[in-house]
Order: sequence, then C-alpha cells, then structure tokens
Amino acid sequence: MDTNMYVLPIEKPAVKKPLSLPVHVFLLTMRSLTSLLRTPEALLPPIAISIFFLVIYQSTLGKAAGSIPGIGGSYLGFILPLSIVSGSLSGSGIAAQNLVRDIERGYFDKLLLTPVRRAALLLAPIMAGAVILGIQAAIVVAVGLIMGLKPATGFLGMLAVIGLGVLLGIGFAGFTVSAALGSGSAAATQGASFLFFPLTFLAPTFVPLSLLSGWLEVAAKLNPITYVLEAMRALLNTGWDGNAIGTSILACLGLAVAMYALAVFALSVRTRRT
Amino acid sequence: MKDREIIVEDLVKSYPGKSKVTAVDGVNFKVDEGKIFGFLGPNGAGKSTTIKILTTLALPSSGRALVGGFDVVSQATDVRRVAGVALQEIGIDPLMKSMELLVLQGRLFGASKAVATARARELLELVQLTEAIDRRAGTYSGGMRRRLDLALALVQQPRILFLDEPTTGLDPASRRDVWREVRRLNRELGITIFLTTQYLEEADELADTVAIIVAGKIVAEGSPAKLKAAMGEESINLVFETPELAEKGRATLEPMGNRTQLDRDTVRLYLSKAAGSIPTVINRLQNEGLAPISLTLTQPTLDDVFLQVAGQRLVASEAVNSRKTRSKEREEVK
Repeated sequence: MDTNMYVLPIEKPAVKKPLSLPVHVFLLTMRSLTSLLRTPEALLPPIAISIFFLVIYQSTLGKAAGSIPGIGGSYLGFILPLSIVSGSLSGSGIAAQNLVRDIERGYFDKLLLTPVRRAALLLAPIMAGAVILGIQAAIVVAVGLIMGLKPATGFLGMLAVIGLGVLLGIGFAGFTVSAALGSGSAAATQGASFLFFPLTFLAPTFVPLSLLSGWLEVAAKLNPITYVLEAMRALLNTGWDGNAIGTSILACLGLAVAMYALAVFALSVRTRRT
Repeated sequence: MKDREIIVEDLVKSYPGKSKVTAVDGVNFKVDEGKIFGFLGPNGAGKSTTIKILTTLALPSSGRALVGGFDVVSQATDVRRVAGVALQEIGIDPLMKSMELLVLQGRLFGASKAVATARARELLELVQLTEAIDRRAGTYSGGMRRRLDLALALVQQPRILFLDEPTTGLDPASRRDVWREVRRLNRELGITIFLTTQYLEEADELADTVAIIVAGKIVAEGSPAKLKAAMGEESINLVFETPELAEKGRATLEPMGNRTQLDRDTVRLYLSKAAGSIPTVINRLQNEGLAPISLTLTQPTLDDVFLQVAGQRLVASEAVNSRKTRSKEREEVK
C-alpha cells in the first residue's frame, strides 16, 4: 500500500516558543465566558438571590435601623455590601461549575493533551468567574441606586465597592475551583460553595462590629468578609477611608493567595500521571 | 528511529491496592511508519489503558514506549506535539461551536489567530462539517461529534494518530463514514494510526496489522489475512436446540475433524475439506438421533481467530448488528 504519497509539513517539535501564560489565560477565559454566557439559567439565580435579600433586608430592617448606633448613614448603604458579598459567594461557584463540567465531559483531558500552561487551567475559570461577579455586583449597585442609595464617595466609590466584591469572589473561587479539581464532581463542588455561606454571618452582618460581643466578635475579627463589609460601608455611607480599604484589600489578597495555593495543589493532584 | 513509528517494549500497568489489578501485562509491539495498527480486544482487556499510556495521560508501571521517537514518560510534551488523540469519551464542550473549539485548540498549540482559523476551516472541510460550523457541538449527532473530535485531534498536524474505539456507539452508516475518514488520513497524509476496537470487522476492514489483547496480554498479532490463514481450516457450524444436545453432538463428531469447539448451542467442527464431509456429519448425527437446527459452512474469519486465541467469543451487541448489515451488503453485491 502506498501510504506515503504525501508527507506532512511538520515543524520540529519543541523548538517553537510556547505562548506566554497571559495569552493562555486570556484564550481560556474567553472560552469559559462564551460557555458561561450560553447558560444564562445558571447565571441568573445568584443575581436574583442577591437582589431578593437586598430588598428583604431593607424592608425588614430599614425602619428599625434608626435605633441601631454606628450605621453612619443610610441602612441601605449599610446592608447593600452584604448583598454584594453573598453574591460573591454564590457567584464563585459558577467558575467551578464550568470547570467541573469540563472535567466530566472530558474536555479538560483534551486541554491537558495540548501544550497549555497548567496555571492557565486554574486562572481561566477564576478570571471568567471574576468577570461574571463584576457584572453581578454592578447590577446589585444599580438596583441599590434605584432604591435610593446615595453613595458618599460617588461613582468612583461604587466602582471600588464592585472591585472589592470581585476581589473577595476571586478568593472564594480559588476554593470552589480546588473543590472542582479535587472531586471532579458537580455535586461536591456545589456543596463546597455552600461551605462559605456561614462565614457571611460570622461577621458584622446586620449590625456594626462595635455591637458584636464574645465569640462572635472574635470570629468576625478573623473573617476577611468583616473587613470587606466595613470598607464597602465606609465607601457608601461615610466617605473614603484609606485604612479600611487597605485592610480589606489585604484580607482579600490573603484569602486569594491561600486559596490559589490550595488550587495549585488540587491541580497537581488531578494532573499527576499515575 | 523513524518519526512515525510506535515502539512498545514490555509495557506493564498495574494498579496497586488490595486486589492488585494488572491492566496491561508485558505488552510488546511495533507500529511501522504509515501503517494502521488495530488493537482488538473485549471491554477491560487493557486497550484504553495502553492508549492512555501512549498518549501521556497515564504512566506505565514498567516497560518503555516510544511514540514518534519520543519517550512517553520523559518526553511527554514532545509526544503531545507529534501525536493526535481522540479518546473514547469525546472531549467536547457541547456549548461551544466547532469553529471556536478548533481555533482555540490551534492557538493553544501556538498558532496565530489567522493560522489557527485557516487550519480550522481546512479541518472542518476535511471531516465534512462545514454545514454545522455555526451550531453548538451539543446539537451534533454522534457521528458528527466523532468527526469533530477527529478534527480536533488533527489540529497540530500530527504524524501519529491515536483513536480509542472510534466507532463505539455509532450506527452502521456513521461507522462507515469514520472508517472512510481514517483510511483517507492514512493514505493521503501518511499518518500512522493506532486504533483500539472491540469490533472484529473494524479491525479486519482498517488495520494492516492486528494485535489481539485479552486480559492485558497480546495473544495474537499479524495482518488480518495472515491471522486467518494461520487457522488453515474451514469449519462446519451446527446449531442445536439446547446446549445439552450440542454437547452430545460434539462428542459424536469429535473424532472426525481436527478439533471441535462448543459455544453454548453451537458446535464448530474444524477440518480441511469441510464441504465433502457434510454427508458423513449428518449420517453420524442421525445414528445418534441428533438433528441440528441449522448447518453452515464458513471460511475462517477474524472472529474464529479471536475464538481460537482467546477461548471466548468477542461479544459486542452493536458488532452483531453491523455484522448482519455487512452480510446483507454482501448478498446485495452478489
């Protein structure tokens, strides 16, 4: 049989410089986003829940808030950050769900068979999740404005609030992505994104930090969410507070770095050839 | 070392644990440049494990494998560059469109956007998916998904292509499409192809060399024609009403032929001049009061080779269907 009629033009392998990590992250992030935006049914519930809670909290506690000391402005400005933070939590699962679907469908293996940078496999779903979180937080802020929110720091302050929500979400996403890589199962990943849920309440959730006492105060002081809430509340109700913003960014970065390390470990376990 | 060869030496893969499972047990073979090599065996025989080792997704416990001249353990990145892979489970994101998947794949292999797009168009034409270019992969039929997966495996212009059960789960028509595609890739582009299958007719149809693997060991290897010729005998196949009657029939006929085989209600009597022996066979059975339901005469097939070397029939329900289809086609040809 004459099999070698044509000879493939093949470049010498391993000579060509592989694409840089940012390019790989960008390509895979765009892929994740394309895929995510084609399942709007998965994206809407977190936004709907955030807005639902915002309306409920405001309607239930809005009037009583006059008697709570230390709100430092409107109760809406006080409670809207909670809505954004819980959105960061539920939204962080989106990135991981996308990843776990790739694993289940075998697309992840297909990517592993390319010269893709391993770190891009982690960062891409996290970045895609961050973009979704940003949109989500912007929608919540917009709803807040409709409800009568008057942010003390204006437009820039609102952007800062959204940015903090995204930054916090990146840390959570690192955790859910680790769960996705570790378990390879959609159910386990779903479960993992609920693990952080109680954290929202081990914080100055409904009243200022100064009113918490005992173990809850200790827990709240260890919880990065506390610092994010404080900074967001300052931005919306009192004004620019460099100290609060700096502390919250550090808290978010600390969480993100720790969770990214966990994710790197989970990835190395998943892609270890056995 | 030629750059389109596959060389496998003493390959072993065992999974530690309480019940130590050895999925691949000392396998040796060589696939020559530009050939199609068929790895034939039942489910769980070690086919997929072998392909996973050769494509760098799994590590061997011991032994060595070279793909296109690169060691699958120490030169995994090079192996990935020269070898295309379509695994049994099709790895496609159903929400993405074929063009998007192909362009991304190309870019991850280092091509520019323009080059990756041109290559994607070329490949979609090659596997005849240009019509479906703007549809999400999730809407494709099984056959179309296989062809897209095949295109994805070809993005980096591989010299060697690994196909893990490329037609499992496909209807006979789609199966023929895939076969045609595989043959074309091999003949027109000179790509060496390693394919696993549990369908005898697939191996017979496509492969230059077939290796039969059972329980992790290769039990026979050679061209389909050689394997069949090695059988050297025809057979008379007698189907009885019950396995018990078949057993009696076998006892009666045993002295006549070179050997006999009992497979549930069917007795196979192997002998060199089968047609001439039919009257004697019937006579002997009648003397014992036995009457077979049917009697057929067959030339050796790969199926017989398999039964001979593996001691069991290769049962795949879909294979049975398509075998029927094929015999029908043969009749039509006549």
